[in-house]
Amino acid sequence: MEPRLTGIDRQEALRYLGVRGDRPPADVAASLDKWEAALLKTARPRAVWRLFDLMPDGTLAGTTFRPAGEDIRRHLTGCDRVVLMAATLGAEADVLLRRTQVEDMAQAVILDAAAGAAVENVCDDLCAGLAAELAPAFLTGRFSPGYGDMPLEQQGEMCRVLDTARRIGVGLTPGGLMTPMKSVTALIGVSDTPREEGGGGCKNCAQYENCGIRKAGGSCGR
Amino acid sequence: MEDKFIILDGAMGTMLQAAGLPVGQSPEVWNATDPEKVAAVHRQYVDAGTRLVCSNTFGANRHKLAGCGYSPAELIAAGIQLAKKAVGPGVKVALDVGPIGQLLAPLGTLSFEEAYDIFQEMVTAGEAAGADLVFFETMSDLYELKAGVLAAKENTRLPVWASMTFEASGRTFLGTTVPAMALTLGGLGVDAMGFNCSLGPEELMPLVEELARWTDKPIILKPNAGLPDPATGKYHTTAIDFAKAMAPAAELGVGAVGGCCGTTPDFIRAVTDVFKDKTPAVRSKADRRGVCSAARTVELDGVRVIGERINPTGKKRFQQALREGDMDYIMARAVEQQDAGADILDVNVGLPGLDEPAMMAKVVRAVQSVSDLPVQIDSSDPAAVEAGLRAVNGRAIVNSVNGERAVLDAILPLCKKYGAAVVGLTMDKNGIPPTAEGRFAIAERILDAALGYGIPKEDVYIDCLTLTVSAQQDQAAETLKAVRMVREKLGLHTVLGVSNISFGLPAREHVTVSFLTQALAAGLDLPILNPNQAAVMDAVAAYQVLSGEDKDSAAYIERFAAAQETKMVSAPEADMTLDTAIAKGMKAETAALTEKALDAMGEMDVVNTLLIPALDKVGDRYERGEIFLPQLINAANAACEGFEAVKKRIARRGGEAVSRGKIVLATVQGDIHDIGKNIVRVVLENYGYTVIDLGRDVAPETVVEAAIREDVRLVGLSALMTTTVPAMEKTIRALRASGHDCKVMVGGAVLTEEYAMAIGADYYSRDAKQSADIARLVLG
Repeated sequence: MEPRLTGIDRQEALRYLGVRGDRPPADVAASLDKWEAALLKTARPRAVWRLFDLMPDGTLAGTTFRPAGEDIRRHLTGCDRVVLMAATLGAEADVLLRRTQVEDMAQAVILDAAAGAAVENVCDDLCAGLAAELAPAFLTGRFSPGYGDMPLEQQGEMCRVLDTARRIGVGLTPGGLMTPMKSVTALIGVSDTPREEGGGGCKNCAQYENCGIRKAGGSCGR
Repeated sequence: MEDKFIILDGAMGTMLQAAGLPVGQSPEVWNATDPEKVAAVHRQYVDAGTRLVCSNTFGANRHKLAGCGYSPAELIAAGIQLAKKAVGPGVKVALDVGPIGQLLAPLGTLSFEEAYDIFQEMVTAGEAAGADLVFFETMSDLYELKAGVLAAKENTRLPVWASMTFEASGRTFLGTTVPAMALTLGGLGVDAMGFNCSLGPEELMPLVEELARWTDKPIILKPNAGLPDPATGKYHTTAIDFAKAMAPAAELGVGAVGGCCGTTPDFIRAVTDVFKDKTPAVRSKADRRGVCSAARTVELDGVRVIGERINPTGKKRFQQALREGDMDYIMARAVEQQDAGADILDVNVGLPGLDEPAMMAKVVRAVQSVSDLPVQIDSSDPAAVEAGLRAVNGRAIVNSVNGERAVLDAILPLCKKYGAAVVGLTMDKNGIPPTAEGRFAIAERILDAALGYGIPKEDVYIDCLTLTVSAQQDQAAETLKAVRMVREKLGLHTVLGVSNISFGLPAREHVTVSFLTQALAAGLDLPILNPNQAAVMDAVAAYQVLSGEDKDSAAYIERFAAAQETKMVSAPEADMTLDTAIAKGMKAETAALTEKALDAMGEMDVVNTLLIPALDKVGDRYERGEIFLPQLINAANAACEGFEAVKKRIARRGGEAVSRGKIVLATVQGDIHDIGKNIVRVVLENYGYTVIDLGRDVAPETVVEAAIREDVRLVGLSALMTTTVPAMEKTIRALRASGHDCKVMVGGAVLTEEYAMAIGADYYSRDAKQSADIARLVLG
């Protein structure tokens, strides 16, 4: 299961850009096409995942990592295993973004949104692969530190458990932020029976208060 | 190395975990608490055949050990001593040094100097404890490794080995290529280099083959036990299979073999069996050479263009950027030249009154943060040359020395130490010889001096010097003749700044291009020129076809196929207004229309009745959701051209520069996501404000200091993540405590109006547009 970037979801990128309505300006749409092509060429998508048994106290077996918060607990209800994953577009995407910022900030904004959608695409592709790999078990959606009440700080613990620095080149700054910037960590619950998603929609999101998508009457779908 | 393979050890961390070390705990702590268990692992490897063990000090740096209760020096001393005791005589102990665990700027926040300092602490402790050599392992950042190698070479007498971790693509996670590793580490004078971790022996073998063509140094090979099972992280390759897969290395120039993740004493025993009766192959000399950044290598096997635009000489705007520390302007010059086809970037920051060494380091880093072209350090000040050579990532060129002994003795040792190539100007204290023969004689002298310092012939490039043809007409032919002589008789690469030839003449381009073409024919392969001049680059492209370098004219065809597409630019409409031009983000039109308006109105009237209202209309449309952020920025960029036209007009009549006020912007400490802040900067600048951009990961005291020094009334702070908002609050508190009277606006994805007020900000800025509104409120 090689990590892949297959393309970017235009709607998702447009949401990141704050573009409302279903018809984006033609120049923005054209730029998204251009940056999708650039990312397909430049980015070096990488991912690492591991499957853990979920202990009764919520700890991942064989580690000291215990996802914190009510929301992740609810998300994993009924699951006896958890996949821990991390994915990145690699350092090249950061360089491209930095470079574009000095050339043309308007294009950099569009690239930033495209890169955000691209790393989600890598995650989606990995999850589809995981679903096949772990079948007939059922997988929940992805849940990342920073969603709901799961503290962003746990990103660091997840990176350590997955040894992301060695495996995919994802490190942490002293402030606990991931480098390269276009990187994602997530948890996925695994169970033998299908179950209702316990995500709880917008209300549980840390961004609830100031989410532009919600204010505009939409949802990011998580 | 020797006539036998040096057998290295295998994994340490996993062996200790098998002995009971909890996952997540620093293995190095056991050097102090459970030395016997660590020693037992060393002994098992020695019993299996290892003749050089790596101490259990991979992560013994102050960053990774923070909070463990031991200092790096304590755990390194304990680790080396226990290893020496465990292995006994005849087996060497290497101080093992892994990555710091934090990325260096620009990707991360660690500075090169801090990295050097962290490594210095480790290597001095290792030497004091009796290590036989320093072994850097598992590195993926060439720049971090350079800091380590310099720390080891400048602070110890120990041999230095360096090994990096590559993916099957032939790059490290951070993009370093095999040639770049070979050229850079070879230049820095490591004693051996190679590969460890990440892949199994089969996957690493092609990389070993490639490395052998780029370096004559002994090669180290320590692969993983194949690839791990993703679900469990465990390795399944057997010791026998591993050793079998290692066998081809014997023929490829490898001198030291061992294992990394997933390998055990059984693996090393099997490897020992395979290699004990073999002798390392006699290698043919490395046949490839060039200069490089970490990610890109430029071989000198054809015409390679050196871009000359990062240079303040005669350029007012560039001088202003240097004086103001405006790196964005300089970085844009780098990107522009790369896009225009430059292969190497010359960096010159010489400006009276400026701290040239400090500026050289700063500019080299800024340039390399946006361009992967190799760099040419252009200065005659040895301190600036050294600052540039230290700061550069990769293998650079130094521009320049000349035939004067004092100059040669000051600069050549630096080139040798950092492994740089050097440009020699064919002049000396008597000036530039008028004849080709005179210049050739100096070239010979420079080559001799370089060889004397141990710089190989291939790394000496000669500049036969272009003189202005309108002033010294007979000299053009002498220069061309000298180029041919140096090329043919000395076999050296030649450099030539060509633009100077046409100085003082009308229609300069014709003369420049003609001279360039003749010089290329005479053997010039490193022209220094302005790649933004299409005619000059066209001439290079044409030459590369004629010389056969551009196989099947492929690059030439591509160049002109692309050029035709971009020719379709519509003519500006005659009745266009400034409003429309700005709204559509049309820069040239905005500048032209502003010029026109300035002929009829005063400068401030143009600003207040035309430019600002036009921007306001765009802002209103943005707020109504009719246009979006990219278009807002485009409009602001266009308006900036209008403001520039106004500034130029004022400057022409010697008036005061217009600024609507100064604003300090910073992304707070701990936060590296700075695109939001950068957007705000662009918009504010284009609304006519002067922005002092402190960058990202900015300490509270730096913000306070800048606010006071620049006496600003408005400070803008950005934080993207929940985890970095506390640093924002701290910065606001520090500003208040300083007593400096200023307003603070804050923004960032996780902030809300309420949250902003709670942490003591005066304004919450939802987006870039609102930050401009706030600026107007505070500064007018």
